[in-house]
Amino acid sequence: MMAFYFSQLVDIFPFFLKGLWMTSKIAFISLVTCTLIGLILGIFRSSNNIILKRLVGVYVAFVRGTPFVVQIFIIFFIFPEWGIQLEAFSAALLAMAIMGSAFICEIIAGGIAAIPKGQWEAAASSGLTPFQQLRLVVIPQAMKIILPPLVGQYVLLIKDTSVVSVIGVMDLTRVGWVTVVRIPEGLMVFSLVGALYFMISYPLILLSNYLEQKMAD
Amino acid sequence: MIEFKNVNKWYGKLHVLNDINLAIPKGEVLVICGPSGSGKSTLIRCINRLEPIQKGEIIVNNVPVHDKTTNLTKLRADIGFVFQQFHLYPHMTVLENIMLAPVNVKKIAKAEAKKIAMEKLEQVGLTEKYGVHPAQLSGCQQQRVAIARGLAMSPEIMLFDEPTSALDPEMIGEVLDVMVNLVSEGMTMCVVTHEMGFARKVANRVLFMDEGAIVETGTPNEFFDNPKTDRAASFISMILTH
Repeated sequence: MMAFYFSQLVDIFPFFLKGLWMTSKIAFISLVTCTLIGLILGIFRSSNNIILKRLVGVYVAFVRGTPFVVQIFIIFFIFPEWGIQLEAFSAALLAMAIMGSAFICEIIAGGIAAIPKGQWEAAASSGLTPFQQLRLVVIPQAMKIILPPLVGQYVLLIKDTSVVSVIGVMDLTRVGWVTVVRIPEGLMVFSLVGALYFMISYPLILLSNYLEQKMAD
Repeated sequence: MIEFKNVNKWYGKLHVLNDINLAIPKGEVLVICGPSGSGKSTLIRCINRLEPIQKGEIIVNNVPVHDKTTNLTKLRADIGFVFQQFHLYPHMTVLENIMLAPVNVKKIAKAEAKKIAMEKLEQVGLTEKYGVHPAQLSGCQQQRVAIARGLAMSPEIMLFDEPTSALDPEMIGEVLDVMVNLVSEGMTMCVVTHEMGFARKVANRVLFMDEGAIVETGTPNEFFDNPKTDRAASFISMILTH
């Protein structure tokens, strides 16, 4: 029986590749949007403006304190009640952007906070504007601290994309669910799903380890 | 040039600057000394608004520093600041450290800024270190680069916050020599320091501070040889006994 299921799996392997492609698309677009938005939020979080700081803080706390699956449900099922109709793929991207940027915001803010006050003061004393201080002196130094946990967060975000399956996006996880109906060998099917996720996350895991080593020097 | 009028500053409940009235004319070399916590660092940090004040006025070259609408960039371009901990930018070479402000604040072309930077580097005696990163320099060398960085904007005023306090004793002389040379060029300087030899050599005036207030002022010789207040006298005896 196993051999039969295995040969069926081999036959529909292209279906898995399609799922992998969807997952990769969502992951890639999300990594880019989350990084860009997270960077801006992280800078706001580090600013001297108490209102800005608190606002971002509330946003981050809410996102970190609620399950991603709940957030994506709200965006996909509840937004339409407020007049915002989104198709599954767009809802998935929006949900990923909101969730991922909150986590990246904290990583960025942490990196900026690690830069000694004296660096800001030296830059300010020579006449650089706050934005120049950030861009030329603080962020370049903060990047070294930010990079390892940032890449680690990327790995987590790739895995988080699996949640989009609950709103019907045909990603790699959903391919697994759909397949297991016809090929009822859960271990086999989901091992394949897992292996394919691993294939795209592992390079990043290696990169994160490498960066952490480099930082430790 | 630099005026403090009834300046008061609090950190919460702590009164760190207590009714400071001070006028520093152009070209004066002023040394500020006093025990830890006396407010001397705070005082010079207020001049370029690294620290804000709650009461009073600070006027630099007819520009009100304390005013919220003052263009800080313009003000700070004219004032060089040297920190106790140097605070060079570790991710840049020595040359890039010195060029950063001229290029980005004064919008000077890179080639011209490089020329200026090399001149200032020569002035502090470190021309050969232009391509090196701060981590590869000794403390004294870093501080000299920091001075060159401050000079790169051709400021009228140079402020020094305990420039030699973080250096090994053998190295202090090299940094002080650089500072003495600046004096001969007519620079207005405010130096917070305990280096009495330096004060005697080049200072026009010494200010003694304690608990946020200016307790005594005088020429170096007047101050060190004939302090008028007990507080100043005991401070001087304490720093001379080691």
